[in-house]
Amino acid sequence: MTQKAMTTVETGTQVARAKTGRLTAILDSEIWLGRLMIAPAILYIVLLIGFPFLLALYYSLSDITIGSRTMSFVGLKQFKAVIQTPLFQQSLKNTLIFTFISQALVLVLGKVLALALLKNFRGKWLVRLLILLPWVAPISLGTIGWLWMLDSIYSVFNWILRAVGIFGPTTWPIWLGVPHLAMGSVIAVHVWRQLPLATVILLGGLSSIPHDLHDAAAVDGAGFWRHLFQITIPLVLPIMIVAVLFGMVFTFTDMIVIFVLTRGGPYDTTQVLASLAFFTGIMGGDLAEGAAISLFLFPVLVAAAFVFLRIARRAEVT
Amino acid sequence: MAIVETRNIKKYFGDVPAVNGVDLSTEEGEFLVLLGPSGCGKTTLLRMIAGLEEPTSGEILIGGQVVNDLPPRARKIAMVFQSYALYPHMTVFKNIAFPLKAQSVPKETWQSKVEWAASMFGIEKLLHRKPRELSGGERQRVALARALVREPTVFLLDEPLSNLDAKLRTSAREELQQFQRRIGTTTIYVTHDQVEAMGLGDRIAVMNQGKVRQLGTPQEIYHEPADTFVAGFLGSPPMNLVEYDDTIVGFRPETFLPREVFGVQDDLVAFQFKVTRIEYLGADRLLYGFLGGKLADAHVISRLPSTVTASIQQGETYEFVVQAKDLKFFDKETGLRTGPRPL
Amino acid sequence: MAAKKRGAFSRRDFIKAAGAGALAAGVGPAIIIPGRAHAAKKTLKILQWVHFVPPYDKWFNETYVKEWGQKNDTEVKVDNVGLAALNAQGAAEVAAQKGHDLFLFMWPAPTFEQQVIDHREIYEECERKYGKPIDLAIKSTYNPKTKKYYGFSDSFVPDPVNYRQDLFAAVGMPKGPSTWDDVRVAGAKIKKQFGNPVGIGLSPEIDTGMAMRTIMYSFGSSVQDRDGNLVLNSKQTLEAVKFVKALYEETMTPEVFAWDASSNNRGMVSGKLSVVLNAISTTRVAEKENPDISAKIQLTKALKGPVRAIGLEHVMDCYVIWKFAENKEGAKKFLVDYIGNFRKGFLASEFYNFPCFPKTVPDLKKLIANDPKAHPPDKYKVLEDVLSWATNVGYPGYANAAKDEIFATWVINNMFAKAASGAETPEAAISQAEAACKRIFAKWKEKGLI
Repeated sequence: MTQKAMTTVETGTQVARAKTGRLTAILDSEIWLGRLMIAPAILYIVLLIGFPFLLALYYSLSDITIGSRTMSFVGLKQFKAVIQTPLFQQSLKNTLIFTFISQALVLVLGKVLALALLKNFRGKWLVRLLILLPWVAPISLGTIGWLWMLDSIYSVFNWILRAVGIFGPTTWPIWLGVPHLAMGSVIAVHVWRQLPLATVILLGGLSSIPHDLHDAAAVDGAGFWRHLFQITIPLVLPIMIVAVLFGMVFTFTDMIVIFVLTRGGPYDTTQVLASLAFFTGIMGGDLAEGAAISLFLFPVLVAAAFVFLRIARRAEVT
Repeated sequence: MAIVETRNIKKYFGDVPAVNGVDLSTEEGEFLVLLGPSGCGKTTLLRMIAGLEEPTSGEILIGGQVVNDLPPRARKIAMVFQSYALYPHMTVFKNIAFPLKAQSVPKETWQSKVEWAASMFGIEKLLHRKPRELSGGERQRVALARALVREPTVFLLDEPLSNLDAKLRTSAREELQQFQRRIGTTTIYVTHDQVEAMGLGDRIAVMNQGKVRQLGTPQEIYHEPADTFVAGFLGSPPMNLVEYDDTIVGFRPETFLPREVFGVQDDLVAFQFKVTRIEYLGADRLLYGFLGGKLADAHVISRLPSTVTASIQQGETYEFVVQAKDLKFFDKETGLRTGPRPL
Repeated sequence: MAAKKRGAFSRRDFIKAAGAGALAAGVGPAIIIPGRAHAAKKTLKILQWVHFVPPYDKWFNETYVKEWGQKNDTEVKVDNVGLAALNAQGAAEVAAQKGHDLFLFMWPAPTFEQQVIDHREIYEECERKYGKPIDLAIKSTYNPKTKKYYGFSDSFVPDPVNYRQDLFAAVGMPKGPSTWDDVRVAGAKIKKQFGNPVGIGLSPEIDTGMAMRTIMYSFGSSVQDRDGNLVLNSKQTLEAVKFVKALYEETMTPEVFAWDASSNNRGMVSGKLSVVLNAISTTRVAEKENPDISAKIQLTKALKGPVRAIGLEHVMDCYVIWKFAENKEGAKKFLVDYIGNFRKGFLASEFYNFPCFPKTVPDLKKLIANDPKAHPPDKYKVLEDVLSWATNVGYPGYANAAKDEIFATWVINNMFAKAASGAETPEAAISQAEAACKRIFAKWKEKGLI
């Protein structure tokens, strides 16, 4: 009896040991552990990004409206129809202007800021904090702040510029009411918003350059501009390209700044594809056309991403 | 060609002195080595000469001109870094040509100058490659060629051999010396490796804690160390240092030999040496142990070349001797060299 | 290389993430405030906007629905979202086929027609109990093509003219403007003498949409006719556009191109503007924040154009019951009972919501003629016959899906703005707007909704 019990106990232990063994084996195996660890991320991407994306893609090829559940496949009809409208063409043009100008500014200003932050100076932490602030603050909240600063009646800028005497008593620009000023304003706010990220990315790139290279360039006789354009910029080029790509994609697909500041006005001169898609699809009810508008740039973006990443790879140096 | 001179140069990082009052002067065309342990300030000194660090006080002169306020590019120097600091996005050709461009050397001459510099180091075939496609030794030569190409008045080299493997280092050392002799440019070379220093330097400046402890030829600093630091830093194993009253007596392990090695000579000083451990190194035997008599319990090492065949046993006591001329005396308080005195 | 490729894909995915983020942020104001709940057998879930008059929400959420719930053995939950999020929220509920039993849109929602029950019997029951609904309610919730009531309208918000009595008096018009020409002539004088411009928006926002249609209708122009045919490009529309261009040039500043829906309120309350078209929220804010100005702002009825004097609703309450609602019967009963109690709602909204079943507030005229908060107390008396001069978006036809998209994509606002700013000639602005409308009408016709 005792002996039998003993045997049972022993067998039990063995089973337990075998089980822990298998678990340990999985946890010890780099392949399985890796799969286990990456699974939540993949799940996240599939559920929250992949699925909605495919849905949007399907919407754009259908005739769905905001109030219908039955939809039929209509191919590229939505795309063909919407591309011909002047509003779409203007929005496309605005999107390109908005994106390219804001990204160029982000790049140059981000570079300047990053270079400045690389140096040591008193109060650097404060400057860093201030630069990161736009990124930390909720986007819509920050943009609403800008809306007030650019307000037609209470514009802080106009008030200050008038107080210091730059504007005369009759000068009172309506920042969001005149096409070029409005485009300039939305670009400026967008730049303000994207600058922190670009700066941090570029700062990361700049600090990854071995200091010896800067010393070597200094000893070899390079002045500031030669140093910047022949040493520093080529060395951060891969990271810069990724930053620009990131910013471009983000700008192409984003409408918050425009939605809060101008809603596309005055008379569609700041309308971009993302905001047009929202007004048409969600507010106007034509989901399919909205999806088509928002996905129009997708192939362009994929192509741009492909080219950019190839360049970045070429430029990679170590 | 130019003479580099520093006058009471100091560099503080915050309150910490990295270089603490160095007066140094090279000779025309000299190969001067700055030798010292890590953190002794030798690299900081070199970087100040290059213009990459600003001295806290003191003056730096190159070719008789104070260069404190000149940027690196105006000092007519060339520097080779420990990491070589090759521009990774440029080909070897462009790397070597970069100083020419930066100094606005006429474009027509680039090709011939680059080829000349490359030929000095036998890297003509590598000109179209990128640095990442080169071996360590090749990279080092490219770095040297880049330094050479614009014919500087002073070469500054910061541990340029430390990233090479041991075998390559020996041949690189030889090449470097030949090259320096050939072009005859004043060279300041930083290293923590005493073998490199002894092998390369016309003179060596031994540094510790931000100060130059001794400046002299390899022979001088090896045989006539100015203080206990230099004595203890050079040599492998270093000089035996034994306290005796208010002095420290020093003798190199290879001068500390069994009595029977010498003939009957007058100037021998004898010690009782109890051997506690023996290391057999092929060419040498290292004997570890303690002295007896007046210098009881002082720990010393003897190095016997393989030509000394005397049988030595662990745990036994023997009579060992040092020639009187090989005994060096240092002040116990300051560590500085003092005159000989009887033991 | 493989690793790179994967990197590229994840970046592309990021694009979509960013897009999704933007969409989510667009829906940002949809902060759901759950209502209180108590134990009961049935539940009724209601979604409505965050009312511009906060005491209304307090009364509705904390008093009215509780009392109704106790009487009907039902747990009523009310969620409130911002005005701008309503369409996105509706779309989400349709996509999920799940949501609230009662959903309040603040404008006609014809695009959702296929998703909602026919609300005919609610109208019939209310009519039996409380008398006829106003025509505006029917026009905003009935689709003559499908013969279906795609919503139920309990109330609407009038959009009277707010003018600065002191300024108009100073230029010889103490009773305020009564025609659009008055606004143009007096507005120009006031701007010249006092520097206060007229404040009628020309921007992509809801108040502009209403104001421009008001002007069109009073000039005899409209987007569609009684039967839903596109008639935008007309002589009358050209007159209306030319009038707005002149009005802008003579009485306004470019700020009207920059406005959002609250700019005219702020401009009026701060004392900067001479005339705006808005719901009584403007005067209510003035009463609380700036009593001096409050005494100077007076209301008047719809202004006369060359053809008629007509105004629009400011917002239009349109409840819908989804086909997929879980408690349809409860929702219907709630609406019928709510109409029966509408007088309380009228008071709670501080006269903001006007009844669609006028008999439910028999003493309306008396109430608005003597409001202790107003300066003077009979300020709101002009609204007593609002039904005779208020109409729906889509006049003289019905509200429908096409006019919905035209409104949402600001086609009419931009037509006027382009012409007024001089970016286009009036004729070109009209023909561009017509082309856009034509396409939108064709689209929704094809989908069978008009």
